[in-house]
Amino acid sequence: MHPLAQATTQPLPLPEVDWRAIAPELALAVAGVVLLLVVAFWPRAGRGVLAGLTLAGLAAAAALTVWNWDLERVAFEGAVSLDGITRYARAVLLAVGALATLMVAQGDSREGEPDDSPPEVFPLLLFALLGMVLLAAASDLLVVFIALEILSLSLYVMAGETRRLAAQEAAMKYFLLGAFSSAFLLYGIALCYGATGSTNLLEIADATGDPTADGTLLLAGVGLLAVGFLFKVSAVPFHMWTPDVYQGTPTPVAAFMAAATKVAGFAVFLRVFAGALGGLVVSWRPVIAGAAVLTMLVGAALAVVQTDLKRMLAYSSISHAGYLLVGVAAAATVPAGVSASMFYLLTYAFMVMGAFMVVQYVSRLGPPDDDAIGERSSLEDYRGLARRHPWAAGLLAVFMLALTGIPPLSGFWAKYYVFLAGIEAGLTWLVVVAVISSVISAFFYLRVLVVAYLQEPVGDPGAETAPGRTPALGVALGLAGLLTVAIGLAPEALIAAARSAERILG
Amino acid sequence: MPLMYPLVFAAFLFSAGVYGVLARRNAVMVLMSIELMLNAVNVNLVAFNAYLRDELVSGQVFALFVIAVAAAEVGIGLAIVLLIFRNRETVNIDEVDLLRW
Amino acid sequence: MNGQEVAFLILAVIGGLAGLLVVTSRNVVHAALYLVVALASVAGVYLLLAAPFVAFVQVIIYVGAIVVLILFGIMLTRAPVGRRVLDNTLRARVGAFVVGAGVFIMFTVFLGGAFGDERIENQGATATEALGESLFRNYVLPFEAVSVLLLAALIGAIVLARRD
Repeated sequence: MHPLAQATTQPLPLPEVDWRAIAPELALAVAGVVLLLVVAFWPRAGRGVLAGLTLAGLAAAAALTVWNWDLERVAFEGAVSLDGITRYARAVLLAVGALATLMVAQGDSREGEPDDSPPEVFPLLLFALLGMVLLAAASDLLVVFIALEILSLSLYVMAGETRRLAAQEAAMKYFLLGAFSSAFLLYGIALCYGATGSTNLLEIADATGDPTADGTLLLAGVGLLAVGFLFKVSAVPFHMWTPDVYQGTPTPVAAFMAAATKVAGFAVFLRVFAGALGGLVVSWRPVIAGAAVLTMLVGAALAVVQTDLKRMLAYSSISHAGYLLVGVAAAATVPAGVSASMFYLLTYAFMVMGAFMVVQYVSRLGPPDDDAIGERSSLEDYRGLARRHPWAAGLLAVFMLALTGIPPLSGFWAKYYVFLAGIEAGLTWLVVVAVISSVISAFFYLRVLVVAYLQEPVGDPGAETAPGRTPALGVALGLAGLLTVAIGLAPEALIAAARSAERILG
Repeated sequence: MPLMYPLVFAAFLFSAGVYGVLARRNAVMVLMSIELMLNAVNVNLVAFNAYLRDELVSGQVFALFVIAVAAAEVGIGLAIVLLIFRNRETVNIDEVDLLRW
Repeated sequence: MNGQEVAFLILAVIGGLAGLLVVTSRNVVHAALYLVVALASVAGVYLLLAAPFVAFVQVIIYVGAIVVLILFGIMLTRAPVGRRVLDNTLRARVGAFVVGAGVFIMFTVFLGGAFGDERIENQGATATEALGESLFRNYVLPFEAVSVLLLAALIGAIVLARRD
C-alpha cells in the first residue's frame, strides 16, 4: 500500500463542537450569509425587505440567547466562556443591532438623493455584531483578536461605503489608526504568551496568581493590552480618531459604533482585566484610573467647544468611556463594579443611539444638498427645533438629560451605581473627579436644549423641506426614548440581572 | 540560541514599523509599516513557542492567524486607499483633511 | 557561537536593514521590494526557530500574496516618488524617530530583564501534523471565526472598490 494512503486510514481526531454554546453567533452568521445571497441574487430587493430579514436574524439570535440564559460553561477548549458578562452583553448588543438596523433601513438620505449606503450594509452589520458578540464571550486572547478584527473590518467598510467624501476620509482614519492599535494589542498578547505560556485567559489567571513568577514582562504585556483596548473604547490619550470618525461616518453607522463597540469593548476589558488579570490589580489600577481621569476631563472639556452635534456626541462618548473606566478600575476588587459597568453600558447604548437618531432626523430637514461633504449636523440646524418639530425636540431633551445624568432618567442610575462601586473599591477621589466631569458635561448637553428650545430658527422657515416619511426611524426613536425613560423609572430589575454577571468565568 | 536574539530582532522590526507609521504621509507606505509591525509580533510568537516548547504550538497557530488576518486587513486597507484616490487624486493622509484631525 | 546562531545573525541583519529601508526609502516600489527582503528573512528566522510550516505560509501568503496586493495598490495610485510626497515634515520625522527609538529601547530593556539569560533549546522542527491537530482541535472556533472575517473582508473590499 502506498504510505500516504496508509496514513489516511487512521481516524482523524474530531474536535468537540459545542453547538449550543455558540448558537447566537451561528444564527448571526447564517443570517449574514442569507442576506448576502439575497443582495446578490435579488438586486431589486427593497431596504425594507433587507431590514426585515436582518431583524429576523437578530430575533433568532435573541431567542437563542434566551434559550442559553442559564448556561454557564467554558466551551471549545477554553476559547469562549458563557457567563453573566456574555449573556448580558449579547442581549444588549442584539437590541442595539435592532435599533441600528432600523436606522440604516431609514437611510441617510431622502428620496432622490443618491448617497445611501449600499444594500451590503445589512450583512456587514450582522457580521460586525457577530464579532462583537464573540468578543464579549471570548476567553482566549486569540479569539479576542479575531473577534476584534471581524468587528473592526466590518465597521471600516460600513463607515466608508457612501459617496460622501467625509465618510471615506473617516473610514481611512479609522482603518489606519485601528490597524496601528491592533499591532500594539498583538504585541501585548505575544508578551503575555511569553510570560505565562498560554493565550487562554483561565491559564493566564492561574499564572498571575503565582507570586513567584517574574512579573515585569507580564506587566509590559498588560500595558500594551491596555493600550489596544483603550484605543478601541476611545479613551484618552488614544481618542484622537473618535471625533473625526463619528462626524464623518453616516449617522446610523456612527450610532452603531458609539453604542455597540463600547459594549463589546468594555465587556472584554472587564473579562481580561478584572477577570484574568485580577491578580495584578495593584499594578494596573493606577494606569486605568489615570486614563479614566484624563478621559472624563478631556472628553467633557473638549465637548464644550464643539459646534457640531455629531462631534460633540463623539467627545461625550469619550467622557462616558471615562465613567466606564471607573467601573473597570473598581471591578477587580469589588464585584459590584462589573454589574455597575454592564448596567451602564445598557443604559448608555440606548441614550447615545437615541441622540444619534435625532441627529439623523434633523439632518433630513434642511434643503437637499448633493455637494455636501458630510451630513448636516451643525448646532445651527437645531435652532428653534422645539417650535418646528416638538416631538423630535422632546426626545432630544430626554436623551440629553439622560446623558447628563438627571434623575429619574436611566443615565442617572447608571452613574449612581458606577460611582457607588467606585467608592466601595476605595476610589473616592476618582468618583469626585467623575462628579466634576459630570457637572462640566451638563453645560454642553443643556446648551443643545437651549439652542433647540429658546433660540429663534434662522433663515426662512419656508425653505425647510419636510423630512419625508420616516417610519423606521420613528419606531427606533420611540423605542430608544421609551427604554431610556423606563429603565430610569424601574432600574431594579435590570441591575439585578446585571448582578448575575458579576462572576467572571475567566 | 539565546532567546534574546529573535526578541531583539522583533523589537527592532516593530520600532521600525512604528517609525514608518508616524513618519510617512503616503497611506500605502503606512500600510507597509503596519505589516512590519505585524511581522515583528509573529517573530515574537514563534520564538516564545520554541522557548516554551509549547505542546499546543499556540504561538505558531497564533502566527498563522495573524498572517490570515493581515491579508484581509491589507485587502480592506487598499480598497479604502483606492476609494480615496479615485475621488481626490491623492493618498497622502495629511491632505485628506476635510475633518480636523 | 554555533552555525544556527551565525545564520540567525546574518538573517537578522539583512531583515533589519531591509526593514529600515522600507520605512526610509524615497521610492514606493523600492520600499515594497525591500519589504519582500524583510519578509523573506523573517521566513528564514521561522525556519531557524523550528517552525517550517509558518515559514512556508509566510512566503506564500506574505511575500506571494500581500506584497503583490501592495504592488497593485502602488500601481493604481500612480507610484509617487520622492521624499516630499512620501514623508512627513522633518519635525514629524524626528518625533517619529524618538518614539520608535523609545519603543525599541523600552522593549529591549523589558525583555532583557525578563529573558536575558534564557536560551531556546535545540529541537526538532514542529511537525505540520501537530500544528494541524492543534488548529482543528483546540483552535477550531477561531478557525471558523476567521472564515467569517475573510468573508466580511471580501464583501467589504468589493463594496468599497466597485464603481457604481
